[in-house]
Amino acid sequence: MNRSSSETLNRLLLCLAGALVLALMWGPQEGNFGNYWFAIKESLFGPRVLVFLALGVLAFLAMTFWPRVVPFLTRPGVWPMVAGALTVVASQTLMHWADQVGDAKFGTVASAAANTNGLAPLASAFFGGLCWAMLVIVVLLLAAGIVSGLRNFGWAAAVLSVVSAVIAYVSHSAVVDFVGGVDHSLGVYVCIVGYLVLLTAGLVVAMSHAQVANTRRAVNQALGWRPGLPLVLIGAVLGAISLATSTWFSPANRNATLADTRNLFRGTGLAPIAVQYLAWLGWTIFAISLVLSGVASYRRIRPLGWAGAALGAIGVLLTVLTLYRISSIGADLHVDSADGPWQNLGAGGWMTCAALFLIGAGGYVAATAPRHSERTVEVDSDAVASGRSASGAFLTAPGAVRSGLMVAIAVALFYPPTANGFWQSVLVSEIGIYVLLAVGLNVVVGWAGLLDLGFIAFYAIGSYTTAYLVGSLPVKPPSWLEMSPLLAIPFAVVICLLAGLALGAPTLRLRGDYLAIVTLGFGEIIRIVAVNADGVTNGSQGPQSQVPHPVINLGPVKITWGLNQLQYWYLLLVFVLVVVLAFRRLENSRIGRSWAAIREDEVAAQATGINTFRVKLLAFAIGASTSGVAGVFFASQIGFFTPDNFLLNNSILVVAYVVFGGMGSLPGAIAGAALLTWLPEFLKDQVPAADRQMWIGAVVLLMMIFRPGGLIPARRRAVELSGFDQRQRLEPVAVPAGEGL
Amino acid sequence: MSEGLLQVQDIEVRYGAIRALKGVSFEVYEGEVVALLGANGAGKTTTQKTVSGMLQPAIGQILFDGERIDGIPAHKLISMGICHVPEGRRVFPRMTVHENLEMGAFRFKRPDAQLLEHVLELFPRLRERIKQHAGTLSGGEQQMLAIGRALMGKPRLLLLDEPSMGLAPLIVKQIFDIVREINSSGVTVLIVEQNAAQALALANRGYVLETGEIVLTGTGRELLADDRVRAAYLGEEIAAVS
Repeated sequence: MNRSSSETLNRLLLCLAGALVLALMWGPQEGNFGNYWFAIKESLFGPRVLVFLALGVLAFLAMTFWPRVVPFLTRPGVWPMVAGALTVVASQTLMHWADQVGDAKFGTVASAAANTNGLAPLASAFFGGLCWAMLVIVVLLLAAGIVSGLRNFGWAAAVLSVVSAVIAYVSHSAVVDFVGGVDHSLGVYVCIVGYLVLLTAGLVVAMSHAQVANTRRAVNQALGWRPGLPLVLIGAVLGAISLATSTWFSPANRNATLADTRNLFRGTGLAPIAVQYLAWLGWTIFAISLVLSGVASYRRIRPLGWAGAALGAIGVLLTVLTLYRISSIGADLHVDSADGPWQNLGAGGWMTCAALFLIGAGGYVAATAPRHSERTVEVDSDAVASGRSASGAFLTAPGAVRSGLMVAIAVALFYPPTANGFWQSVLVSEIGIYVLLAVGLNVVVGWAGLLDLGFIAFYAIGSYTTAYLVGSLPVKPPSWLEMSPLLAIPFAVVICLLAGLALGAPTLRLRGDYLAIVTLGFGEIIRIVAVNADGVTNGSQGPQSQVPHPVINLGPVKITWGLNQLQYWYLLLVFVLVVVLAFRRLENSRIGRSWAAIREDEVAAQATGINTFRVKLLAFAIGASTSGVAGVFFASQIGFFTPDNFLLNNSILVVAYVVFGGMGSLPGAIAGAALLTWLPEFLKDQVPAADRQMWIGAVVLLMMIFRPGGLIPARRRAVELSGFDQRQRLEPVAVPAGEGL
Repeated sequence: MSEGLLQVQDIEVRYGAIRALKGVSFEVYEGEVVALLGANGAGKTTTQKTVSGMLQPAIGQILFDGERIDGIPAHKLISMGICHVPEGRRVFPRMTVHENLEMGAFRFKRPDAQLLEHVLELFPRLRERIKQHAGTLSGGEQQMLAIGRALMGKPRLLLLDEPSMGLAPLIVKQIFDIVREINSSGVTVLIVEQNAAQALALANRGYVLETGEIVLTGTGRELLADDRVRAAYLGEEIAAVS
C-alpha cells in the first residue's frame, strides 16, 4: 500500500470515528443500573447512526476533494447561502414555533398542524413539508447560480426567498390564530431572518460583477451603497407587519390587532392622543418617517435624515405612550380581566416601536454618513488583496457599524417586553449582569493584559456591601447610614476600588501566571470568609433579611422596582450604557494608551515614561468597581443570595466570556457575554440537560479554532492574529534585494 | 575639569546574592558619546539599567546634572531627560510606527509635531512605513524606530543598549551614523556595545567592564589601539602582547 492511499484510508477512518463520536453526543447520555450499555446501544445501534456515518463520509469526501471545492467557496454568495440555510434549518428543527402547542417545537407544531382540519391550506402545506421543499429549492437554485455563474438563478432564488419568508410568516400566524392564546415563540422570525440572508445570497449571486470575489466585499458594497437604507427597509417591513396584523392587546387570549384595539376602546374615555394614534396617527407617522428616512438615505439629503430621525423618535414616544394608555385603561375597565399598566400587551406595539426606531436610526445614519462615499466605497487595498479588512473588521462600509449598533439597540430596547417571563429573567439575571461583569473584566484582562481569576470576589464584595448598607446582615450599619440599594452604588464602587487596590498593590509586581494564581486565591478567600464569618455575613445562609428592591424617589418622580424583570432590564441597560460610554472614552485616553503599551511590552512601556505599576493598579481598581456596581444590582434584584453565588466557576466563566468575545474589544466583551449566557438557556429546551455543557464546550472550541481573535476582535488583537502570519510572506516583497534593510 | 552631566559613583548592584556590579564609577560629560564595552555578563546592561532607573544600586550614588537620581523610578527620570532604548529594541509590535513614536512622547501632553518631523527626517525609512505595524518591520527598522521613539521624549542623555544586536553590518553602520548625527545635535549618548570597533570609532571615550568592574578607560582612539581591547573584542591575536 503506498503512502497516499494509506493516508486516505486513515482520513476515512478518522471521519467515521468522528461521526460515531457525534452520534454518541447526540444520543442519550444516561445509562441505568439495569443496563449499563443503554446509552451506547441507543446511539450506535439504531438506524440513526447511518445518518452520522453518512455525514462522516461527506466530511471525508469534502476533505479529499477540498482543492477542487475551494475555487467555488470563494465565489460571491457562498457564505450567505450557507449561513442562511443553516439558520432556516435551525429554526425548523430547534426553535419554538407556537408556545400553545405541546412543547412548542417545530416538529410538534408541524405534526399538530398536519393533523388538524380547518387550518388554512397554505399553513397545512407549509407545515406538511412545503417548508423543507422551499428551502431545498432555494439552496439548489443558489448553488446552481454559483456554479454556473448564471445570474438568473440568483434572481430566482432571491424572489423565492421572499416568497418563502412570507409563506412562513403567514402559516405561523394562521396556526397562532387557530389555537389562540399568547405566543412568544421566535422560530418564525429566525426562519424569516434565514430567508433574508438567503435573499442576500441571491442578490449577491445575481449582481456581483466578478466571477470570483468575496462575499464580505459584496456585502460591504451593498451596505455602503446607501448608508441607512438597510435599516429603513427592515423598519418598513417590521412596521407594516406590526401595524397591520400583530397583536397589540391580548388580555385572556383576545389577540387584538391595532384595528381591533381601536374598536375595543372606542368611546371609553381613552386619552385622545392614544385614540388618534390607534385611528390614524400611528400609520401616518410610520408612513411619513419612512418616506423621510428613505428619501434621505437614497438621495443622501442630510436635513431630511435628521427630520426622519426626529420623527422616528417622536413616533417611538407616542407608541410607548399609547401602549401605556391602552393597558391601563384596559385594566380600569376590566376588559377580560386585564392586569394593569404595561400588562397584557402583545408584541405588535413593541414591534412598531422597533420599526419606528430603526426608521429613525436609518435617517440618522444617512445624515451622519461620510459625504465622499458616493463613488468610492472604502475598501482598502490590503483588504482586497488578502480578503479581509486591515482592521480585521467585517463591516467596513460607511455607516455599517453604526447600523449594526442601531439594530442591537433596537433589540435591547424592544425585544424584552415581548419575551416571556422565563426569557425576561434570563435577560436580567444572566445576560445583563454578566455583560456588565465582562465589560469590567475586559479592562483588566483585555486592556491591561492582567489575568484575573478572582474577579467574582469584587462582585461578592459589592453584593455584601449593599446587604450591609441596607441592614440585611447581622452587623448593622449606624442607623443614619442605612439606605436604599441604589444609593449603595457609590459606596460599593469605593469599597471595591479599595479592595482592588488592596489586592493589586502587593500582587501586581507579579506577572502572568503568578498573578492569575494569586487572584484565584483571593477569590476563594473572599468566598470562604463569607461562608465562615457567621457573625458578619450570616455564613452560608447569606443575608438574614431580604435586600430591598431599588427605589428612586425624587419627590415628583418615584420609581419602585418590584418583581417585574423588565424594570430591572432597563435599569441594567442604563448601567451598561453609562459604563460603556465611560470606558470608550477611557480606551482612547492617555491611560488607555498606556494600558495598550504595557500589554505590548512592559519594559518598553516603562522606558517611555509610563508608571506601569500605577497604571496596572488603576486597571485593577476600575475593573473591580464595575464589578461592584454589578454586585449592588444583583443583591437588590435577587433579594436573597448566598456565598455560593460567588464560586470560582463564575470567575472563570467571565474570563471565558471576555476571551470568547474578543479580548480588549468592548463590543466583543458584550457580545461574548450575551451569547455565552444565552446559549445554555437556549440549549435547555434543545438537548438533554446532561449534554448541555458539552455543546457549549464544542461551540467555544470551534470558535477558538476558527476565529481565535474572538467574536468581535479588538483592532490590535486582530492584527496580532492575522497580520503577523503574513509577515514572513511580506518581508521579502517589501524589502528590495540589495537595498540593505 | 567641569562636572560631568552624568556621574556614576561606586555603584554596586545585586541580583539577590549575586553582585553584578562591584563598585563601578564613570562620568559622562555634556555632548559626549561614551561607550561601555565588555563581554557577555560583564555588567554593561546592568549599569545602563541602573542609570535609567530600572534597577536600584545597593551602594553608591548616581548624579545627573548635579542631582542625585539613584532611587528615582524610570518613569520619572524620563521627564528629567534620560531616555533609554532598551536591549532588543522592544518596539510595540501591534502599534503602528506613528503610534510608537507618539508613545515615545508620552511624558508630554501632546507629541511635538516639529520633533516628529525631525525624527522622520532622520529616519526616512520610518516615514515610508508610518502606518505599518511595528511588528512587521525588519530588525534594522525596528532599531531605528526604538531610537526614534526615545528621541520623541526630548532626551538630554540617550542610553542605547546594544543597538547593533542582530543586525547586518551595513545597517549597523547606518545606525551608528545616525547616532553620530543625533549626538552632533547636542544629545549626550551613553552606548553599550559588544561591537567594539564600531562603538569606539564613534565614542569620545570608552570604559571597558569585566565581571562588574571597570578595568580600562580611555578615549575611543586609545582603546581602539589598546592591545588588550583588540585581543578581547576585536578578535586579534594576543601573542604579541604578553
